[in-house]
Amino acid sequence: MSGQSSLALKEEGNRHFQKGDYVAAEALYTKAQPPFFKTHRILADPTNPLLYTNRAMARLKMSRWDSVIEDCEECLRLSSSTTHLPLKNYDQAVAYALEAHKICADTHDKSLAAVTSQVLKCKKERWEHREKLRKREEQELEGEVVEMLRREMDGLLKTTSSSGEDEDEEGRKETEKMYEEKIERIRAVFERARDKENQRRPNPPDWAIDDISFQVMVDPVMTKTGKSYERASIEEHLRRSETDPLTRTPLTIKDLLPNIDLKHACEEFLNENGWAVDW
Amino acid sequence: MPVQFAAKRLGKELNKIQNGLPPGIELISADNLEEWLLDIRVLDNNPLYLNDTYRLKFRFGQSYPIEPPEVVFVKQADRPIPIHPHIYSNGIICLDLLGQQGWSPVQSVESVCMSLQSMLTGNTKNERPPGDEEFVRANKQRPKDIEFYYHDNTV
Repeated sequence: MSGQSSLALKEEGNRHFQKGDYVAAEALYTKAQPPFFKTHRILADPTNPLLYTNRAMARLKMSRWDSVIEDCEECLRLSSSTTHLPLKNYDQAVAYALEAHKICADTHDKSLAAVTSQVLKCKKERWEHREKLRKREEQELEGEVVEMLRREMDGLLKTTSSSGEDEDEEGRKETEKMYEEKIERIRAVFERARDKENQRRPNPPDWAIDDISFQVMVDPVMTKTGKSYERASIEEHLRRSETDPLTRTPLTIKDLLPNIDLKHACEEFLNENGWAVDW
Repeated sequence: MPVQFAAKRLGKELNKIQNGLPPGIELISADNLEEWLLDIRVLDNNPLYLNDTYRLKFRFGQSYPIEPPEVVFVKQADRPIPIHPHIYSNGIICLDLLGQQGWSPVQSVESVCMSLQSMLTGNTKNERPPGDEEFVRANKQRPKDIEFYYHDNTV
């Protein structure tokens, strides 16, 4: 089976899915995954996680829960086994998690707390990945700067190397010493920057922390008193007791208002400080 | 309610506690996320509690902090049960804050300790709750399953 026909089968499956024919869609997605791919090197695209998510959706519609979980796990296994994930996949992971969060929030689903944690986890991983890239780039930059200084020094030394007089020899030594010092200083500056970075790990600011879960807020909502909580946390509390956690006055889920500015502030904070997910 | 809720929150509380607790409160052990021990002392000169230290045992369920923790005083050779009209001689505490109705998820181990500290500080009555002896003899229930009547809120 070629990759082409695997794709065709998948699209055929998608068409059936859209028409609501989940049984046919599931069969097509299954076909699109060649059998025995675990033991045989095959031509089609068995490592395409999309086939699994699509089939999981079809199975979800058919309420075949166990199979849904199987497909999702297979999909996760495939996605995580792919090394050298491009940055785009981290963005995608965050986007998917946020999408799931929105669905749960809109329907007051009980998985909201778990999905909120997932959003945080994705954001943390994305931040870690970006940090790794940034650090590598900085290290490369350091190497390049040092290299440039060396080349400049070599150029200077060449112009004075033609004659063999003592005076020139003196000058050469002077030049070499000057450049070595410069290189030393450049390295020290980069080192200092790295040290400083490793030190800055205070607790995250209180305004970003939900007083119930003690996590950085993903979707802060405000009670009537103006105090904000993570949506998942306060809804969990309100399902148990319809009271404001601080004042004990009556409060229902309907009274909660999204705190958009705080949400943006938390997002911005987390983009710069992914470590705060596990403070 | 996912299990991780309690674990994460307690991990972070512990993190905070290890950075320092208010005076008169000390963490004794927090080896797992189910049971912690803390000592409290009363800071003023209330003669009922002078020179004594009391041991508190916190037990957390998986729904903590949505559900309250179970908090009792535990007796040891050098850790008596403080005398108070809301504290039974077996260590069970009758405090609105720790009950199903009075609990709020914004409370924490630290804030509960502080509440108990001030509950002792403000007390002048050298007595146990009414019916203490019988309650201690008969009670087989876990504190969280007991229906307390907060008949006297002045103490």
